[in-house]
Amino acid sequence: MTVPLGAYIAVSAVLFFLGAAGVLVRRNAVVILMCVELMLNASNLALVAFARRAGQLGAGSGLDQRGSVFVVFVFVIAAAEVAVGLAIILAAYRNRPTVNVDDIHEMKG
Amino acid sequence: MFDFLEPLFFALFALGIIGAGAAVVLLRRITAQALLMALTFACMAGMFLLLGAETIALFQVLIYVGAITILILFGVMFTKQEERAYGLFFQKQAPLATGLAVIVALPVVILAFSFKDPATPSARGSDLIPLATSLFTDYAFPFEVASVLLLAALVGAIVLVKRDDQ
Amino acid sequence: MPIGPFGIDPTIWAVLRLVIAVALTIFLVLNGALVQIFLERKIQAVMQDRVGPYHTGPFGLLQTFADAIKLLGKEDIRAKLTDAPFFLAAPAIVFSPMVASFVVLPFGPDFTGVNLNVGLLYLTTLGSMTVLGIVIAGWASNNKYSLMGGLRSAGQLISYEVPGILGLVTVVLYVGSLSMVDITNAQPGPLVNAFILPFAFLTYFIAALAETNRNPFDLPEAESELVAGFLTEYSGMRWGVFFLAEYGEVTVVSAIMATLWFGGWHGPGVDAVPLLGVIWFTLKTYFFVLLFMWIRATLPRLRIDQLMGFCWKVLIPLALVNILLTAVLILAFPDPRLPIAVANWALVALLVVGLPFTQRRRLLRFRTRTRESVGMRDARLAP
Repeated sequence: MTVPLGAYIAVSAVLFFLGAAGVLVRRNAVVILMCVELMLNASNLALVAFARRAGQLGAGSGLDQRGSVFVVFVFVIAAAEVAVGLAIILAAYRNRPTVNVDDIHEMKG
Repeated sequence: MFDFLEPLFFALFALGIIGAGAAVVLLRRITAQALLMALTFACMAGMFLLLGAETIALFQVLIYVGAITILILFGVMFTKQEERAYGLFFQKQAPLATGLAVIVALPVVILAFSFKDPATPSARGSDLIPLATSLFTDYAFPFEVASVLLLAALVGAIVLVKRDDQ
Repeated sequence: MPIGPFGIDPTIWAVLRLVIAVALTIFLVLNGALVQIFLERKIQAVMQDRVGPYHTGPFGLLQTFADAIKLLGKEDIRAKLTDAPFFLAAPAIVFSPMVASFVVLPFGPDFTGVNLNVGLLYLTTLGSMTVLGIVIAGWASNNKYSLMGGLRSAGQLISYEVPGILGLVTVVLYVGSLSMVDITNAQPGPLVNAFILPFAFLTYFIAALAETNRNPFDLPEAESELVAGFLTEYSGMRWGVFFLAEYGEVTVVSAIMATLWFGGWHGPGVDAVPLLGVIWFTLKTYFFVLLFMWIRATLPRLRIDQLMGFCWKVLIPLALVNILLTAVLILAFPDPRLPIAVANWALVALLVVGLPFTQRRRLLRFRTRTRESVGMRDARLAP
């Protein structure tokens, strides 16, 4: 008894939609950042699942890792994104002590 | 004999991912949200283990639980967190938005279930060496670009947060 | 029907093996902590010209048992405004990864829990999870000093993870494997990695001191400034669990150092009697545990800016240079041992000589000040 590939993809899709809903609905900048991380992670699951599928089909080496390589790049992007994102939140917070994105709506310096 | 373990663990991790993910979106307690996000990431690492990608799973825990969650907690502790209603945009259209979201999401989830093949490979082996080989041969240039990106993020974050008067 | 070891059915043996391993690990962790606390108190006492515990049992040997019983019997106190679920979860988050790390430690030939081929990555991953517990503990305590301790800890542990991992990566580059067993097997003779990669060892050793919150890097729990930092609000066995985790963590990093740089279970007589390997491994591990205690009794605590500055401005650049040099030399020479050793020892010399040189003005000032104060004391004491 094994788990079908579709189950993994479905979990990935559900998490992605949850994250997207969070980004749209929540107004706290830190929470929005968290939800973006959830979306990135959901894409990771789909990438790894499809990579294992490709490896199983025996494309070349039998253990095709191209999907997993992209996951590594997603990790890099996620780390860079959260570092810069938090720096922006903290810089904005210094100007105006709030993390609510509705209150930070004018772009004047 | 232990065949039932894989679906069992899959169900467990799926429950963890979706439950904790939903809690991150819906809860109003920021530290709880951060910790539940860490739980989502940990369950995701479990998924990667089920798929036989052990290196990726360990990186997942190392980077997401060990670093990104901590950074988020830093952000939480350095800023004043005030609870307020969900955004202005969805204030009146909440039922409509929920309906639309379900209409968009359902076909994708149903479509996803159409992949019937078993996902786990029959020949199990470590993904460490194949991963490293493709990362440092075929993808050496993107790898270098990614390292430059990280450096830029490092410098950028420091510049943004540094106070002018120092 | 296939027969496993000791004539037991393999599936049952798999479960039984797990149970034995867990029991053995708990045994090791708890007893290791007891032994280490006793050793620490005695050694500090000797270094500070005191007697140390001596009332309970011969040489005070039973003192730690008495303390443990006292901790278990204490009332479970929780301040009213603490964030209950996090406050209760934090000790577990710190403790459980430490226990899990024991799985991949190679105690002796054929005496390893699992020979993971990503063993070292597994250890660093679990090591990085302690930060989460400490930050949560600091936050949940709802106390200024605890929060400061938690934040300091997060900054310190994340920063020092970098040189620590860079030190490990150098060994991985040289040996060509992440498996703890393979790394042990790669250094059977007296020419252990410590002679070839001393700089990698130095960076990892300093990072390990910081990662386990030991002196001179014990800023997160600095007793004299932060009233024990994130531990302030903890008492009884919850506090005890934090301390068990700290001592276990020290054992784990010591075991990593013993395995990666000092040949693990290799030693005279191991080929004839494999069980001797366990003894060699324990001896090597406890050598580093004792070294940690010696450092704790000797060095003063750093300031937070010195701590971060040293990590980012000194250790990480030098560790990166070390990795680059090692990688290039491995490619350039068919037998890279001698060139790598030369490069590494040169970097060690650079750090040991260069660091005091850049700080020479400060050192000079410090020395004259000390001399003056000593002179004043002598003048005061003179009849």
